[in-house]
Amino acid sequence: MSEILKPASTYSDIVKTISNPGLGLGLRSMHFDYILEHNPPVDWFEIISENFMDSGGRPRHILRKLADRYPVVMHGVSLSIGSTDPINWEYLAKLKALAAEIKPLWVSDHLCWTGINMLNTHDLLPVVLNEESLKHIIGRIKQVQDYLERPLVIENPSTYLTFKQSSIAEWDFLRYMAEETGCGLLLDVNNVYVSAFNNDFDPVHYIKQLPHDRIVQMHIAGHQHCGDYIIDTHDRNVVDDVWKLFSLAWELTGGVATLLEWDGNIPDFNTYHAELLKAKQFMNGMEHASTTPIQIKKENFTVSNPVSFLVNDIKF
Amino acid sequence: MINKEVLPIAEIQNWMQAMLIQHVPISHLDVTTADMVNDSKRLSAAQHLTIYRQSYIARLRACMQSQFKCLAHALGELLFQDFADEYLDSNPSASYTLNNLGEKFPLFLEMNRPDAESEEKEEWPDFMIELAAFEYALSEIFDMQGTDDINIPDSNTPDHLLITSPTLHLFEYKFPICSYYLDFNANLSPNLPFPQKSHCAVSRQNYKLGLFNLGIDQYYFLNCIKEGASIQEAKDKLIEFYNFERSNFEKIWPIWRRNFIVSGFLVCKNDA
Repeated sequence: MSEILKPASTYSDIVKTISNPGLGLGLRSMHFDYILEHNPPVDWFEIISENFMDSGGRPRHILRKLADRYPVVMHGVSLSIGSTDPINWEYLAKLKALAAEIKPLWVSDHLCWTGINMLNTHDLLPVVLNEESLKHIIGRIKQVQDYLERPLVIENPSTYLTFKQSSIAEWDFLRYMAEETGCGLLLDVNNVYVSAFNNDFDPVHYIKQLPHDRIVQMHIAGHQHCGDYIIDTHDRNVVDDVWKLFSLAWELTGGVATLLEWDGNIPDFNTYHAELLKAKQFMNGMEHASTTPIQIKKENFTVSNPVSFLVNDIKF
Repeated sequence: MINKEVLPIAEIQNWMQAMLIQHVPISHLDVTTADMVNDSKRLSAAQHLTIYRQSYIARLRACMQSQFKCLAHALGELLFQDFADEYLDSNPSASYTLNNLGEKFPLFLEMNRPDAESEEKEEWPDFMIELAAFEYALSEIFDMQGTDDINIPDSNTPDHLLITSPTLHLFEYKFPICSYYLDFNANLSPNLPFPQKSHCAVSRQNYKLGLFNLGIDQYYFLNCIKEGASIQEAKDKLIEFYNFERSNFEKIWPIWRRNFIVSGFLVCKNDA
């Protein structure tokens, strides 16, 4: 591994050239056959990198076909950029090999850690936001970018707690991180809303404080409001308040690639696509938008970031 | 005495992970959740952490359930969950992918069978262990490396050019595992079967799995080829082992051959 890391400008210059491919959908295995058969007019697809990195069977086979027809973005959940474990170079080698094969528009992951001591909780755990972790994460992003030979795009996760040891606001942390590494940002608008409710901050202020010229993509999704807290379930329609934040973010960024995530109770493809296309109503403010109000239901505990889509759905 | 306000991030991550993955959390630091996590307007620090604790186990349970759907049916949801929880407690994931979360589950069931201490063994744990191994094998075969679309023989392909497909896997069990799995997959809610030796094949064609019950002679024959025998050598071994009349076997061979090709068991050699 090279000791001399490339300057941030190497990557920020690339990030600045990323153009907006339009409205995309998260690729889910239950839609494979429909997409191959009907070639629906979706601008691009986002894949979960870990679903395909090790695949030698149907998932990889389908991905090869889809990557021939649509632009693809690789979105990971296991980079664990905030972990204090050593960087997993074996994982990165597979990530790089997949990227070399399908040529994604960009490669993204989350500002989080997933485990330490060689274990993986398979959750996107919150990082402590202070000087030490900022320095730590900046160093790791630089190493990963140099290895992958491309900028990383880092997403704000949904969070359910804040640490007493944190001393930097998340929006500032993201800005410093992007400035020092040249990485791009993936603004998950729903995650901002979820984290803001759970941790008592103003989501509008959060979005206004971000470095908008570094945002190359947005995520939108549905969530489960449990009364005293919100879980990021990706299992239903996007609510009114998240669309409002999206509208604000669209205005501030000048419009960037936008993707709908839907990972639990996944509907048929046309319903999924129709929810994505609602985004067009919010690109010029809220005045013509028809929206879904917040639904507060006291339900049994639900799981954040569902993983059913991370396990192969065997086809017979 | 530790200064809780300036804990290194490695210590904080150690603390948090220990609080999540252990059934009974044990902190190696002399701290409380309130020392580490902020209260919010609506939730205490402990309630905030509980969201992650509950998500951790619920997520991995859901993954186990997804990888062992048939076993969960056979064991019943509650018993399956008990086994899964114990397994996850003693085998936390060390992989970046969830696809192999259940890799050691069949061995775990073997090591933790309820009758482990008694001299007289019950039969049902044997069935569950075999079913768990079969179900995990299916997920491996489904996503294993291999090209599925080439070298398909036809009726004119000579026998000496036939070999077993790299994705063909053969299984021998003390219980009718494949039949049980097929019935479950057809939503027939099968009852627990009695012991009955069984043989089956799993093949993959066009990236989809096929499950087939086999006769013991078919299993023997295909196994010979998998181990490197030519079709002719496998025929000779089969005839000798089962004391078949060669002329009788040659009459049924065209039917076996056709079915084995259609089912994806036999393919052409690469250099054919």
